[in-house]
Amino acid sequence: MMPLSMVKPGETNTIKKIGGKEETRKFLENLGFVTGGEVTVVYEIEGNLIVNVKDSRVAIGKDMANRIMV
Amino acid sequence: MSVKIALAGNPNCGKTTLFNALTGSNQFVGNWPGVTVEKKEGKLKGHKDVTIMDLPGIYSLSPYTLEEIVARNYLINERPDAIINIVDGTNIERNLYLSTQIMELGIPVVMAVNMMDLVEKAGDKIHTDKLSKLLGCEVVEISALKGTGIQKAAEKAISLAERKNEVTPVHEFDSKVEDAITAVGTMLGMDIPEAQKRFFAIKLLEKDDKIKEQMKLVPDVSNEIKALEDAFDDDTESIITNERYVYISSIIGKCVTKGRKGGMTVSDKIDRWVTNRWLALPIFAAVMFIVYYVSITTVGAFLTDWTNDVLFGEIIPPAVEKLLVAVNCADWLQGLILDGIVAGVGAVLGFVPQMLVLFIFLAFLEGCGYMARVAFIMDRIFRKFGLSGKSFIPMLIGSGCGVPGIMASRTIESDRDRKMTIMTTTFVPCGAKLPIIALIAGAFFNNAGWVAWSAYFVGVVAIICSGIILKKTKMFSGEPAPFVMELPAYHMPTVGNVLRSMWERGWSFIKKAGTIILLSTIVLWFLMSFGWVDGKFGMLEAEQLNDSILASIGNVIAPIFAPLGWTKAGEGWKMAVAAITGLIAKENVVATFGMLFGFAEVAEDGSEIWGNLAQVMTPIAAYGFLVFNLLCAPCFAAMGAIKREMNNAKWFWFAIGYQCGLAYVVSLCIYQFGILFTGGGFGLWTVVAVVLLIAFLYMLFRPYKESKSLKVA
Repeated sequence: MMPLSMVKPGETNTIKKIGGKEETRKFLENLGFVTGGEVTVVYEIEGNLIVNVKDSRVAIGKDMANRIMV
Repeated sequence: MSVKIALAGNPNCGKTTLFNALTGSNQFVGNWPGVTVEKKEGKLKGHKDVTIMDLPGIYSLSPYTLEEIVARNYLINERPDAIINIVDGTNIERNLYLSTQIMELGIPVVMAVNMMDLVEKAGDKIHTDKLSKLLGCEVVEISALKGTGIQKAAEKAISLAERKNEVTPVHEFDSKVEDAITAVGTMLGMDIPEAQKRFFAIKLLEKDDKIKEQMKLVPDVSNEIKALEDAFDDDTESIITNERYVYISSIIGKCVTKGRKGGMTVSDKIDRWVTNRWLALPIFAAVMFIVYYVSITTVGAFLTDWTNDVLFGEIIPPAVEKLLVAVNCADWLQGLILDGIVAGVGAVLGFVPQMLVLFIFLAFLEGCGYMARVAFIMDRIFRKFGLSGKSFIPMLIGSGCGVPGIMASRTIESDRDRKMTIMTTTFVPCGAKLPIIALIAGAFFNNAGWVAWSAYFVGVVAIICSGIILKKTKMFSGEPAPFVMELPAYHMPTVGNVLRSMWERGWSFIKKAGTIILLSTIVLWFLMSFGWVDGKFGMLEAEQLNDSILASIGNVIAPIFAPLGWTKAGEGWKMAVAAITGLIAKENVVATFGMLFGFAEVAEDGSEIWGNLAQVMTPIAAYGFLVFNLLCAPCFAAMGAIKREMNNAKWFWFAIGYQCGLAYVVSLCIYQFGILFTGGGFGLWTVVAVVLLIAFLYMLFRPYKESKSLKVA
């Protein structure tokens, strides 16, 4: 397991665990971030990510990206 | 028979475009009761008896955002006759997550798969017949942008609504979950209709407290919850979320044939440049430079000059005067109408063209998807001083007019971040503050360009310092909510949507000219034209201004501003009065000075009164006056917007108090340190200024303490 922020752009991974505050976690689940689901990092700037989840593009800040484990 | 159809779908799925296409100009925009979420209703084109309700864009029917609560309360309580569930075909899997929830409400659903043109372009194919069978609803292919298929979707919804048949969802979860749902379903009270039982049962299993307020009888389901959580080793809400996605994944292969897998889309390629580590900020700066350059100097200036010089110079005033003379209007009324109302309101409307051009640009940038990227880029920077990247969009709009700027803060989900944004947005100089800048620059600083630049600089520094100071207070302690935002694919917005957005924002400004400013110019004119002379109350001659009611009021409040250097004997009250009228509307400041120095009408930058003004204030005090006006509470209209968006009297007064307090302290320091460094001596107020500065620096640099208790705000 490693945080999503460490993943190289272009790589597809399976989400293993989502941490953080309940509210944010639920919001992410609604956006398609579910354990067992796939996530691809499209682009990275200083730990902040643009990822591809279920064909939509979601921008996530570094502090949240650190709490998504893949 | 009247039919109610609700539009439901994810944010950025084209819902608003579809709503506009279905209803045309036949719309009513308001707020949902008690909350600041926009409510849009309209009549279907060609069907007077069909109402279309545009629900806010949501990802789920969970209770985590105001939008979600508003949307689901409407669906449960008002029970529309049918729902059009609009789904973005380019990321259908995520969109279907909401669809599975909508299907459980027992209301007939038509699924409108939008952006079919883009789906086809990408070489994908969506088999709507299979989708229809596997989800249990009618499916129509549409393109809201091009208008194809939308009529068909509306007609299907109407015919479903008229048949009134109840619907049952087709999708199924794991058998253990299904058993629990059935078990809870049987425990529900009689007030829940059969068709809605699944929805309520799932919500109870998800431990959704807000749903209990909607039920008469709340059964205890803790046993079922515990059994599920033990079996799946997860919390029930996540289990059910997961089950939904599992079902969707199981059908998506049958419903969608992908033309090509993975790879970079056009949007991804653009994002490589636009959000690039080194290029993002330069690109953004260039875009903003073009936007402001065009809307303020070229097109905007041309339109503004025309409105000011021709429309409100050569056309309207002479026409009104002719009319008034023709009907033998009394002199005092002529004065009120021409000098008060026409001049006052005209000065305000002069900004409209320039502002509309700016709003067209901003609406385009929002519509095409660039603004979401801007929020992402700026988040890196804004986070450092306690604000979110999403705070940046309200501030950009606020550079045109603070009212729509404050309203734009609605898109920020986190309560803490939103309140902080509302409090700081109006520090950005809005269009109405520009004439004050021009007046001070012209009268005291030989029109130096640095005055305008420094005004924006002061605004930005005020935002940064406020962010840091407020973050360290108890009220705002904690980090800004983690940044999570969907980035819609880049696309050309429709002309209609851009113009509509421009008009909605511009209208809030025009409305203020017609109401608050109109009223305040009348009141101001009265206070200035009447007063006591030799113990007798009556209308004054122009040179008796010092006896007016306004002068009496001004003399009472003037001492408050004396430490700011607005002190010249017999004249200090004019600055105080101008600043107070600025609280009503910043456009009033220049006009008030004009009237106070005896000019019926002055140019936008007040060039006629530069000489008068230079005699009553020192340049240092004048710069302090400018800063006071930039930072203090905005105009009445923006204060009204703050009150609405805060939705809480205490927060409203805190915001206004903070803004006025900061403005007073900063301009006090500017004046006192200014005279100290120019050899003006050391006095009691210098000491006060030093103390205030130290207090300010302490608040800014004191260590930040994370609250130890685990209280969730």
